[in-house]
Amino acid sequence: MGVSSKLLEVKDLRVSFDIQKGTIDAVKGVSFSVAPGEVVAIVGKSGSGKSVIAQSILRILPRNANIDGGEILFNDPATDANAINLAGLDAKDQYLYEVRGGRISMVFQEPMTALSPLHTIGNQVEEALILHHTKTAKEARDDTEKILRLVGFPNPARGYEMYPFELSGGLRQRAVIAMALICNPAMVIADEPTTALDVTVQAQILGLMKELQKKFNTAILMITHDLGVVANMADKVVVVYHGEVMEAGNMEDIFRRPQHPYLKALMAAIPHFDMKEGERLVSLRDSDNDKSTATIHKLAAKFKADDLGEITGPHLKVENLRKEFSTNKGSWFGAGEENKIIAVDNVSFEINKGECLGLVGESGSGKTTVSKLIMKALATTSGSVSLNTSNGMTNVLELSGQELMAFRRKVQMIFQDPFSSLNPRMTVQNILSEPYVIHGLNTAKKCQQDILDLIKLVGLNPNCLNRYPHSFSGGQRQRIGIARALALHPELMICDEPVSALDVSVQAQILNLLNDLRKELGLTSLFISHNLAVVNYVADRIAVMCQGKLVEIASREQIFANPHHPYTKSLLSAVPYPDLDRLLDFENIKYTSSMEADDWGSAFKASQQAGLESIRVDEGHFVLANSNSELSEIRA
Amino acid sequence: MISYIFKRILYMIPTLVLTSILVFTLIELPPGDYFESYVNELQAAGETVDPKLIEYLRAEYGFDKPIWERYIQWASGMLVGDFGYSFEYELPVSDVIGDRLFFTIIVTFFTIIFTWLIAFPIGIYSATHQYSWGDYGLTFLGLLGLATPNFLLALIMMFLANEWFGTTIGGLVAPEFVGEPFSWAKFVSVLEHLWIPVIVIGTSGTAAMIRRVRANLLDELRKPYVTTARAKGVPEFKGLMKYPFRMSLNFFIADIGGILPTVISGAEIVAIVLSLETTGPILIQALQSQDMYLAGSFLMLLGFLTVIGVLISDIALAILDPRICLQGGVSR
Repeated sequence: MGVSSKLLEVKDLRVSFDIQKGTIDAVKGVSFSVAPGEVVAIVGKSGSGKSVIAQSILRILPRNANIDGGEILFNDPATDANAINLAGLDAKDQYLYEVRGGRISMVFQEPMTALSPLHTIGNQVEEALILHHTKTAKEARDDTEKILRLVGFPNPARGYEMYPFELSGGLRQRAVIAMALICNPAMVIADEPTTALDVTVQAQILGLMKELQKKFNTAILMITHDLGVVANMADKVVVVYHGEVMEAGNMEDIFRRPQHPYLKALMAAIPHFDMKEGERLVSLRDSDNDKSTATIHKLAAKFKADDLGEITGPHLKVENLRKEFSTNKGSWFGAGEENKIIAVDNVSFEINKGECLGLVGESGSGKTTVSKLIMKALATTSGSVSLNTSNGMTNVLELSGQELMAFRRKVQMIFQDPFSSLNPRMTVQNILSEPYVIHGLNTAKKCQQDILDLIKLVGLNPNCLNRYPHSFSGGQRQRIGIARALALHPELMICDEPVSALDVSVQAQILNLLNDLRKELGLTSLFISHNLAVVNYVADRIAVMCQGKLVEIASREQIFANPHHPYTKSLLSAVPYPDLDRLLDFENIKYTSSMEADDWGSAFKASQQAGLESIRVDEGHFVLANSNSELSEIRA
Repeated sequence: MISYIFKRILYMIPTLVLTSILVFTLIELPPGDYFESYVNELQAAGETVDPKLIEYLRAEYGFDKPIWERYIQWASGMLVGDFGYSFEYELPVSDVIGDRLFFTIIVTFFTIIFTWLIAFPIGIYSATHQYSWGDYGLTFLGLLGLATPNFLLALIMMFLANEWFGTTIGGLVAPEFVGEPFSWAKFVSVLEHLWIPVIVIGTSGTAAMIRRVRANLLDELRKPYVTTARAKGVPEFKGLMKYPFRMSLNFFIADIGGILPTVISGAEIVAIVLSLETTGPILIQALQSQDMYLAGSFLMLLGFLTVIGVLISDIALAILDPRICLQGGVSR
């Protein structure tokens, strides 16, 4: 009867969206197929229509979307019936409700918002089970706890009763996976399942999905923009660009012999760890690349920071920095018991003039807090931040009034989110002249030439000065943010995840721009990122933070070739490479979060006799370890 | 949870003490007192007043004592249920309010139910069928209700009810039942008269309610967890009720705190037009004639109901939304 090698076959699918002025074609004739138990990845940048394809299969598109043509044939192996065209069914067809969650289920990107905050994990996980199989409450609960155990909940009975906000991001995503698998579906659609997670958690979740996929022989349709994830998960790849399939094939063909120029360009745009000194990322539109380098070179002299002369010692020195946040447990009358959260714990480092220090860590590790403390945007609990000036080292934290104002000129910041860091009610002209006006350097009119040069410096056209931020793409906005930061000729540039909100191809352009600017202007910089490959591309030295502590600091080469601290090691081993010869070792990825220091060697834990201390293991390579531990233990 | 409720109840005490001080100051603020306006009124009518009698009455009711002493007397009286004496009615305040409070609560209770019954289905329909003809049409009707002056609607309804159903004009019961003990016939008569004020007062609140239900639900409908529920195969209506609708209820429960005080003070104008035996008209009159204990007790009752209402909505919110109880108390 309906025995076919294809579980799902999408043929010439066309989807359009109704908008105010006509329609937009989001998917233009996409075809691919998924065999039972196979992992197929759909790859593309944001806006390529990959999520729309996923939603079309379950027919859960937004109301203004229409399926204009094509077929989605679902051949359910559990029944002998012929394949059913899901695209042809009426939106209220009973079969659709059976398929959703029962035969095809979905894992979503953002585990916090994908779960209802008002219902317990158990309630939400078992809902699909109760809908699709008649079960008593007791049976449903038993099955739910079983699947929660399977996805790695340490205490399923307790997990069943908990609310999403009580769980970490990783556990939430595990709950979402449990929800998708509880009815033992034939296929799971995973829409960017690990994009919102930290790299070590991502590796765990990918490992879990792979393991469960093998165990239940479930097919997975994986939607992602990350070729590293694809290389580690998929059997087949479909590359989508502007709603069309650019290239499709098995892993070997796609990764070793990419044919389509788009795919080739995508591969070249990703920073990877084997890049040679001075090797550049190739952005998707390479034509203007050389031109921009030339422009930067020409204009560099104008925007160089004031010459410090020969300075001795580091440019920025951070010593024993500490920041506590307190949460009141809201007792009656007065303060009550106070819970202290130590966000930054005894962090010390130096950055030399013209150097770029990369600061790496997972979310919540305190890296952004460090940057805010350096900027004096938050009050420091204890410790010092000193900047080398013509008068020697000056403690930034003691500055006030005129001196603080002068310091603000020297240190500038580039922010993570180019959408919310620019005022939507100001033109680019206003945004760029504001720093001059605030510091009384120039009137808005007189600095016109400076602004024109600035905008050229970051590779934008001068005619965009009168436009508002909303009319620019993410990459262009980040260029505006960079121009604003450079306006005051800063000495120190703090970049807080400047490319994490950008697509891979745009990311390459911005990273190249930042690198060029840094070299030409002689900027000292602190580059904060959770992405090790990005840090590797820009930084000279790398510092790793974990739970507010700086656990390891060394040169780029040392960190990657010879990491000592177990946290650095787990961080490095969790990065998915877009390379079939360097797959993740899922067997050895620990199920406990790497934030928990339990399985670190005794040399890296504080003991009753001795606390933690930064220990020199090599030239310029320091590791946070027990002050009584032997060098051989740390190196082991 | 228990400690949360206990804490919330304890917080009420200082709030109520502050309210009573404020109320007392307010009713003391206008120059003169009840007797002064009483004397003025009599003199204006051409009658003579014995100043000694007035002096005696002033001493009797403690008007010669310092203000703080009178406050303490008033406030401590309230604790044991003695709200003072209404000069105008020459009755203890509790007797004046008591009868009318009952009718007021009936009218308001049915009005709230009426508002909810109309506003929720329409709000849900409007949100799920955003920008459809149904959405626009129902919103238009609701706004029409909001825009029509209540007193006008009251007059029209009263006329129509009399023309079509022969209902007696004004009041909450037919004249023959006024002052009668409660009986089945009286109850029926109350129901016959009740629907006019309920509709008149209800229409104004309904439109605002529809807009709020619609706006809150629309926000929630865009959230990813709604897609999650759909992807699980949850039937549309069940999913709507279980997830986005329940989330959107938060605003509405927080609103209960505001509803309770209107139980006794709401819709005074309508009450006067329809000559309803409710508390609204009394409050206005008491304020006009400086009948200070009556007015003060009224204002105090309003404050008390507000505090209780907020308490109820806080407790209901804590039950409905687990984040409130478990996450509270974090500060930076």
